[in-house]
Amino acid sequence: MAAHSVLTDELVKQLIAVGQVDVLVALPTFHNASSAAGAARAAVLGLARHFPRARSALLHVDGGSSDGTPDIVLRASGPDLDREIRAQTLRTIQRISAPYDGLPTKATALRAVFASADLLQARAIAVLDPTVTSVTPEWIAALIGPVLRDRRDFVAPVHQRHPLDAPLASQLVRPLVRAVYARRIEEPVAGEFGCSGAFVTRCLADAIWDREMAPLGVDASLSLAALAGPFDVCQASLGPRVTAPDAPRPALADVFRQVVGSIFACMEAQQSAWITRDGAQEVPLAGEAPASLADTTPLEAAPLVEGYRSGLRDLGDLLAPILEGGTLAALREAAASDPLAFRVEDSIWVATVYEFAAAYHRQVIHRDHLVQALVPLYLGRAASFLLECVGKDLAEIASRADALALEFETMKPHLLRHWEPNHGGES
Amino acid sequence: MRYAPDEHQARDPLSGASGSATLRVHPSSATANHLMPDDLWYKDAVLYELHVKAYADKNGDGIGDFDGLIDKLDHLVELGVTCLWLLPMYPSPFRDDGYDISNYCDVHPNYGTLDDFRRFLAAAHDRGLRVIIELVVNHTSDQHPWFQEARQSRDNPRRDWYVWSDTDDRYEGARIIFLDTEMSNWAWDPVSKSYYWHRFFSHQPDLNYDNPAVREEMWNVMRFWLDMGVDGFRVDAAPYLIEREGTSCENLPETHDVLRFLRRRLDESYAGRMLLAEANMWPQDVRPYFGEGDEFHMAFHFPIMPRMFMALRLEDRKPLIEIFDRTPSIPASCQWATFLRNHDELTLEMVTDVERDYMVEEYARDPVARINLGIRRRLAPLLDGDRRRIELLNGLLMSLPGSPVLYYGDEIGMGDNVFLGDRNGVRTPMQWTGGWNAGFSTADPERLYQPLILNPIYGYQAVNVESQRRSEHSLLQWMRRLIRVRRSHPVFGRGTIEFLHPANHRVLAYTRTHESESVLVVNNLSSSAQAVEIDLRPLEGAIPVEMFGGSPFPRIGKLPYMLTLAPYAFYWFRLRWL
Amino acid sequence: MTETISMALRDAWGNFLMGVEQLLPQILAAISIVVVGWVVAALLGIVVRYVLGWVKFNAFAERAGASDLLKKAELPAANAVAGRLVFWLVWIGFLISGAQTLGFSGMSELMTGFAGFLPRLGAALLILVVGFVAANFAWRATLLAAVNAQVRSARIVSGAVRFLVLVLAIAMALDQIAVARSVVVTAFAITFGAVMLGLAIALGIGGGPVAARVLDQLMQQAPRQDSDPAPHL
Repeated sequence: MAAHSVLTDELVKQLIAVGQVDVLVALPTFHNASSAAGAARAAVLGLARHFPRARSALLHVDGGSSDGTPDIVLRASGPDLDREIRAQTLRTIQRISAPYDGLPTKATALRAVFASADLLQARAIAVLDPTVTSVTPEWIAALIGPVLRDRRDFVAPVHQRHPLDAPLASQLVRPLVRAVYARRIEEPVAGEFGCSGAFVTRCLADAIWDREMAPLGVDASLSLAALAGPFDVCQASLGPRVTAPDAPRPALADVFRQVVGSIFACMEAQQSAWITRDGAQEVPLAGEAPASLADTTPLEAAPLVEGYRSGLRDLGDLLAPILEGGTLAALREAAASDPLAFRVEDSIWVATVYEFAAAYHRQVIHRDHLVQALVPLYLGRAASFLLECVGKDLAEIASRADALALEFETMKPHLLRHWEPNHGGES
Repeated sequence: MRYAPDEHQARDPLSGASGSATLRVHPSSATANHLMPDDLWYKDAVLYELHVKAYADKNGDGIGDFDGLIDKLDHLVELGVTCLWLLPMYPSPFRDDGYDISNYCDVHPNYGTLDDFRRFLAAAHDRGLRVIIELVVNHTSDQHPWFQEARQSRDNPRRDWYVWSDTDDRYEGARIIFLDTEMSNWAWDPVSKSYYWHRFFSHQPDLNYDNPAVREEMWNVMRFWLDMGVDGFRVDAAPYLIEREGTSCENLPETHDVLRFLRRRLDESYAGRMLLAEANMWPQDVRPYFGEGDEFHMAFHFPIMPRMFMALRLEDRKPLIEIFDRTPSIPASCQWATFLRNHDELTLEMVTDVERDYMVEEYARDPVARINLGIRRRLAPLLDGDRRRIELLNGLLMSLPGSPVLYYGDEIGMGDNVFLGDRNGVRTPMQWTGGWNAGFSTADPERLYQPLILNPIYGYQAVNVESQRRSEHSLLQWMRRLIRVRRSHPVFGRGTIEFLHPANHRVLAYTRTHESESVLVVNNLSSSAQAVEIDLRPLEGAIPVEMFGGSPFPRIGKLPYMLTLAPYAFYWFRLRWL
Repeated sequence: MTETISMALRDAWGNFLMGVEQLLPQILAAISIVVVGWVVAALLGIVVRYVLGWVKFNAFAERAGASDLLKKAELPAANAVAGRLVFWLVWIGFLISGAQTLGFSGMSELMTGFAGFLPRLGAALLILVVGFVAANFAWRATLLAAVNAQVRSARIVSGAVRFLVLVLAIAMALDQIAVARSVVVTAFAITFGAVMLGLAIALGIGGGPVAARVLDQLMQQAPRQDSDPAPHL
């Protein structure tokens, strides 16, 4: 047994004073002075308004910020707010604010949060993202409510978006997770979520924490752990998600390494859970489905196409051991086509993604390199989607995204065939 | 008569002597002047509220009486209470549980005669017990001779003793208190063909305190009882004495004038007697009834009561701290009266809507237990008969500021019967023994004014004074010890309070300080064991001595003082600088 | 004459036969040593392989990253490699002892020299293998990074990196076996210097504006537009 403790002495001391709680809202911060105050304030107000009877606490863990984040959080959620909420709540809303041990990564912070929740035997836990400035008290209700009310284990958020936004989510992450895990979940990679005490306890015993350091990676890992395990998952509608202008923005390749790398790693670790699933179950949504945002500034397609072409050309033979000959040929054909009619067809794209996932599993080349090699191909697919949607209305775009998801589902045997080539195409 | 200051004997908690056993009283004539060692006796008092009809029946008619009560005074002395508060024992048509009085200067024949009352009073005084009685100043019964006379004709000399009107639209600013039963504060009198004013039931016409004769007469009533030796009055419905157009007719300055008048008269000839106000309002609204120490000596602090129950269920000290934050300071000669339960429902008027919903859901899941804005249950059933919670709440009651009022039967954990209608379920006969009629009466059980509690948990065979007296670990014996410790230390009645704020919100901790004495009280409001670190640096150097067992605890130093508490446990520490 | 010849022949044959008579047991002994040595070495190799198999040496090797390396170098599993290594070391030891029993001084010296050279040869080979793997790895990493950063000459840059690492590895390997040490060092220095100079000149002439822009952004902390991922996720 490792004698290493996840909780600092300071944290343990405060946790002892708080004792058992029903609801815990966690805010893991590191250098979020400009944006964390809003989330902290919304958390306390949300607890006061929506869970006045519950034993509740705001848990703020900090990775050692030097920009005064802890003070700012304390001020935003402290005694001034108490006077405001005095009549609304029956109990004291407890505040815990302490540093956590180890590298200031999201994984370390969340591990400390989960360990704290476990120690306090919290029944419901909501984790907020300190870089998000659009948190409202209703988010707390949406993330915690289903856990307490309907005994859900994991509440994934549904944000209000434009269907052309976030092509990485719509073209890769969402349909891939939906097909592989057979659950129609909108946001498998979200910085905020709600979960039950049982989920927390299970995750603490899991290897997620050793595997994942990257912030987006942890988000994905937790969602997928919920989808793979014996957990009751639901979604909650939260509204638009706006991040602070100074929030860290990793480069696309890094986003890929975190998100796609995580999903592939989870598929690897949880294959016994998903390999026999097919179709895709609806994940219940608490509250009303949000209307799509009407306006957006979509990405420009031309640079994406260029990135795809040069990437495909430059990577050359590197893709050969990963992709089937036919798939690679089809991709090259697409690269050669007329810029206006540029398309990476659904089936080609799905085959590409599945063959990458399988190659990751079989460790054809170094896994980190493999994930990066997918980036230029994604650029092509994103461009293809954007070009295809020019002039289409919201409903048509949404149905395009749906068609892709269905293609992922129907082609799942393709994944299985490549996953274990020796076993043939069993599904 | 003179009271020996029994506190001197009982002050040392380590003496081991029973506080009640050392009570020493110099018997003397009950009519003699009160030569008080301390006119502020009510600040150290432990009051005990009882119904004469419910306590003990000597003559076997099924209704308790003064003779029966005299026989049971020793129980009260043993318990350690210092003052009895008798619910109305006046002649009455009993349409409002005796609060509709038809003669102020007599007792109801059901309970005995005035002579019986005098004997009771003397017996109580002989045992060192003070007695306060109800004084329903605001209204009489419509059967009272004053009202009968007043309604005879519009020019009757007593006509002006009540508030009359030809129309029913005066004083429209006054709310109707009993919304369930009354449509208006005016009632039509068919005899004198006009309306009379009543704030409560229509059979309870309000007296007209604008009339000096009424004030004088009410003072005469008080004098009647004071001369007999009564130690004070619990004044019912004090805020409603005077009516003025365009006001709510509550808490008017003229009402305070009347009260100051009565107090002045009292002080002139009857020093050391006490007036206790009933005004179910927020403490800041009750505050004027203390005046500058020239109105009431005491007033009930209503909002503390539901908050003690709430804090216990929430396992959080917040409700209690908040209500003390909202409690204004009162003149030095005045005192709050606090209670856990009384003859009425557990009233939830003085809580917010969120709090009321919570209380009703947590303490009265069965709708039968709800009445008006409250819960009609006794202490023990409210707490599921959990001894630890009963002890904790009594511990809070005895250690927080104010003079505690116990309700009869709660010292043995009596149950209730919500099916008896109104609030009769908490007014059942006292359970003395496991025998015939619980030792309350020799009458046939059918003749009892109300049935006994019979269920296997709270029934008289399980819960009674006799069996608890024989068991060292019974609630009754525990209550005796608690009251003894409380009475041994005037700091509880007279001291200031300062709340401590340890990080653990399940723990309510405070210090009480009076002159050179300091007490530290730490309560665990939760159902689980708790650890707490309390910042006691201002008390550095003191040795806490636990007050029930006398065990010394480690000396308080610079570091946070660490304590662990079992579920619902509490400590009272006397702080000694030795 | 005939007498002399026959005597000489007899002496010679006598000597030869005597020599053979003397040498034969030595040869037989040497052969037996070599054969027994082979058997012992083979047994030891097998034992090592299985013992390492039992103690999950491969898993350890995997964690240490050695397996990845071996796989890239198309070598068998870690325990098999260890087993074969043990076999060869032991057998070569026996071979040397066998040669010594023959009593040929030159042979013995040669064998000892060879034995002394063996570890350095092994080290050089290892360096080459590692260098090859590292060169490949660095090439792929550079290529992917360059492609994803949309660098136009991604292949040239990554190829240069691979070439450099390989050159470095070969130089180190040659240095290890001490073949023309000075030549190797000089050649390496010239190659490396040339590449660096080339790069510096190339960057200085062609990459000036790029460097200026990069520095500009660093100094002003201007928000990056091109790699902004928010639109992607």
